[in-house]
Amino acid sequence: MATEPRVLRREWTTAEGWRDTKAGMWAWLLQRAAALALVVVVVLHLRNPFVRPVQATLVGLVLLHGLLGLRAILLDLGLPVRLHRVLFAGALVLGAILFAVFWRWRWY
Amino acid sequence: MAVVLRRLQVFRYAPGAPERTQEYPVEAKPGMTVLDALVEVQQTQDPTLAFRYACRVGMCGSCGMVVNGRERWACRTLLAGLGAAALTIRPLYHFPLIRDLVVDMAPFVERMKAARAAFIPKDAGPAEFAAIGAEAPERRAIDPALECIGCGACVSACTLVGLDPHFLGPAALNRAFTLVADGRDAGKAERWAPLLSEEALWRCHGQANCTEVCPMELSPTDSILRLRRRALASFPRPPA
Repeated sequence: MATEPRVLRREWTTAEGWRDTKAGMWAWLLQRAAALALVVVVVLHLRNPFVRPVQATLVGLVLLHGLLGLRAILLDLGLPVRLHRVLFAGALVLGAILFAVFWRWRWY
Repeated sequence: MAVVLRRLQVFRYAPGAPERTQEYPVEAKPGMTVLDALVEVQQTQDPTLAFRYACRVGMCGSCGMVVNGRERWACRTLLAGLGAAALTIRPLYHFPLIRDLVVDMAPFVERMKAARAAFIPKDAGPAEFAAIGAEAPERRAIDPALECIGCGACVSACTLVGLDPHFLGPAALNRAFTLVADGRDAGKAERWAPLLSEEALWRCHGQANCTEVCPMELSPTDSILRLRRRALASFPRPPA
């Protein structure tokens, strides 16, 4: 009986599998992880909107997910792919700045 | 000059035998590449170690392997550029293993066939080659995507190929772009069918791992995004 050929894949459970994980991969993973985390945090926020740590987490995740999404859209629209690392770094820096500005602005 | 001893941790595989990692010490000489080190191991320590190479000068692409977690050509990778720690050397991912570091490249060819990656001339048997000027827009679009030598590094680095073995993958889609953008090609209609299938353009998640590792500095990600834009620009009509 013929056996299936052995095909190696990167293992998600070993350090070797994560070794040399690249910027574009981190950007993709972070955006997906932020989306999953948002599902939980939005539910927590709706239960009690006045818990400051939950508010901070919500703002941070929305910024992270949104700005990384914007990065993907810009690349889809034709921005050169060679800029993808710069866009990733820019999204993180802009997200941090927007978070700081937003967090200093208390409207209640 | 003091001899620098480097440790190579090499993936070993043979059908029917347990996989293992075997460590070989190698005296690193100035200018020594990973391929030089493997050849030395094979000649002086372990003649059973299997790996593939041909040109030794970065032209054939047959010595593609994963060194320290990154797809590289062994012949163009200097030991001196890989830090002082032990090196991990593994075969390319997402290809059937034959033995040790040697993989079966047949799936690479199958993906090319599935993407209809052969040029189909519009004119049957032209007397002369059709010339496209260096400044022609199609030439400028195609040029950055040429020169793939089929080493398989991009396919190994692509997460989506790992998750979906039917995905056409970066090399085949990059090649398809060069043909779709080529005004002399007559195979566009039959090429777009597989390109617009579920296992092609829309499967790419734009992680750009392929672009990061391509030793020829091509950007299959860019080619895929260009094909997507062409498809969307003609929607709802089929792209030409």
